[in-house]
Amino acid sequence: MRGRGLVVLVAAVALSAAFLANLSLGASSIPAGKIVAALTQFDDTDYDHVVVAYQRLPPALIAIFVGAVMACGGCVLQGLTRNPLAAPSVLGVTAGATLFVVAGASVFGIGEAWQGLAAIGGGLFGFASTLVVARMAGLSRDPRGLALILSGAVVSMLYASIATALLLASPSRRSDFLGWVTGNINHVYAERLFDFWWIGAAGLILLMLLSRSLTLIALGPEKAASSGVNVRLVSPLALAAVVVSSSAAVAICGPIGFVGLVVPHIVRPFAGDAMTVALPANALLGASVVLAADIVARSAFAPYVVHTGVIMDLVGGLVFALIVKRFYLSSGPRRFA
Amino acid sequence: MRTARRLDGRRVLRFASGLDVPLANLAAAGFLLVLVLMIMAYALGVGATALGIGDALRAVVGAGIGDGQAFALWQVRLPHILLGFMAGWCVALSGAMLQSLSQNPLADPGLLGLSQGAMVALMVLLVFFPGLPHGLAPFVALAGGLGVAALILFLVGWDQADGLAILLMGIALETTLSAVASLLLLYTPPETSYALSNWLAGSLFGASWSVIAGFAPWFALSLPVILLVGRSLKSFDLGDETALALGENVRRSRPAILVAAVLLTSASVTAVGPLIFLGVIAPHIADAISRSTGRTRLVLSALVGGLLVVAGDTLTRANTSDVALPTGLAITIIGVPLFIATLRLRALRTVQ
Repeated sequence: MRGRGLVVLVAAVALSAAFLANLSLGASSIPAGKIVAALTQFDDTDYDHVVVAYQRLPPALIAIFVGAVMACGGCVLQGLTRNPLAAPSVLGVTAGATLFVVAGASVFGIGEAWQGLAAIGGGLFGFASTLVVARMAGLSRDPRGLALILSGAVVSMLYASIATALLLASPSRRSDFLGWVTGNINHVYAERLFDFWWIGAAGLILLMLLSRSLTLIALGPEKAASSGVNVRLVSPLALAAVVVSSSAAVAICGPIGFVGLVVPHIVRPFAGDAMTVALPANALLGASVVLAADIVARSAFAPYVVHTGVIMDLVGGLVFALIVKRFYLSSGPRRFA
Repeated sequence: MRTARRLDGRRVLRFASGLDVPLANLAAAGFLLVLVLMIMAYALGVGATALGIGDALRAVVGAGIGDGQAFALWQVRLPHILLGFMAGWCVALSGAMLQSLSQNPLADPGLLGLSQGAMVALMVLLVFFPGLPHGLAPFVALAGGLGVAALILFLVGWDQADGLAILLMGIALETTLSAVASLLLLYTPPETSYALSNWLAGSLFGASWSVIAGFAPWFALSLPVILLVGRSLKSFDLGDETALALGENVRRSRPAILVAAVLLTSASVTAVGPLIFLGVIAPHIADAISRSTGRTRLVLSALVGGLLVVAGDTLTRANTSDVALPTGLAITIIGVPLFIATLRLRALRTVQ
């Protein structure tokens, strides 16, 4: 168990490194010492301190929030569906939330506070549509539980394209959301973080409280039930926590979902099946990955600034291919679940 | 040629060559054809310019109309209707082929990344080689689509018989390529990027006789494709093992069908942009109207596809509010409720 605890420590170190790097790199690089000073003894007459506090800290906090929420969401979804491809963005959650926020803003003209609620409604709607399509498409010959992944992909594709089309149809809203819709970490969205962070935090706390039962459920619902876990209560509760918290993340900065697919696979070999260890490790590492992706998005294509969601999709797509190759194409026995 | 009753109890029209076509399918094809013609005629009378159905129809057969009306009819409405039907036909056909190929009801050229491959290749052409002639575009799109198809087959292994694996790998590539497309959009000059993002959502905005002329050969190609591929698909519908047992050379016919699907998809992406989801919806609606296999299923699906796009385009033009409805969205608005209804219907049928 001590070896397992080490993972969390390593992830924490990775997070601090990524955090410092994210604050330091930019149009002008600011030395680490100065960043620490800006965070501990803020001096509003120092130009660098102001840059760190008002321009770089808010996006970094958004990145940490999104990374932590999405990675934990992916970890729990992969455990509950016993499928290595599950993640909030694969199962239609982020696309549903995106659609509802865009539709709410462009068709019904709702304000920012209601957009959070719309995102949560949309996340639940997206997840429900995935379940319904999987059921109704009648993919009954489905020994590997892939119907869910497939219908999730169809639903996501559909909702994302409707959201884009809605934006095209409403020129007045286009400039507000054209960046957001591809997952944009930007200091402009700090207010949204301030409004919605508690939803994600509540979701993560709930998942941590359930982590012991979730570990057992991931090993097999029957086993879990026989050791006294109320599967019919815990599973839906955990699913709801995941959907709601990842929708809140979408409400802040748009869909940056593929962290949820990638990070649990990095963590699993080290943390094992125990969710009590895996969840904190996922949260920390997910945050670091999004911070790193944000750095890449800002600097790799200079003078253009790419959106972080695009970088994550790029990486996520490749990792998806690797997972398919490893779990579904190798002739050897599958190691997952 | 006479009517007969087949072993499964369906009444069929039996040709001298031994080919039979169930009467129900013939009726469905006739029904769809009439519906297509009716919607096309209706669409002629819809738009911002005042020109009713009657006058429009008379003008098509030679009666004189005003200059503005003639422009609306000949340069806007007719190209939209024809191109829409042709593009919808091709995409739906490609979707139906991919569904049989992967033995999965949710396969779609968009889900497999084929549309995105064509799209990304076209964007690369536009961004990095803007000087090249426009006539090259369909071939570049085709190269992009074929590249993706080859990559999928390479990644899952050429011998892999698992349709699901192909589909999953396609989803992976689709995600990656969509991200690449967003990246490329950054490098396009601002004045083209708006038109481009319109095209990315599927749009008949650029419909003109020259686009139709460029698209026509590919559309014509769909007929031999239906004839050649139909029989193989029939055996694929029965499952891989059965296909093998029936003497189907899976190793040879699978890539051939994939190439045909890519051809049709890339051509329509060049003309109107990716029509997301149409490839899934159309075959399902065709199945709901009349259950069929092989060539008949291809023809019925293609007809439904053309019908949906023409209907979507008509909705776009009928919408007179100041919000411009993208064609892709209009198709979705019409198609998704029908899709859900067909799934419900199918669930009910299986229960009985």
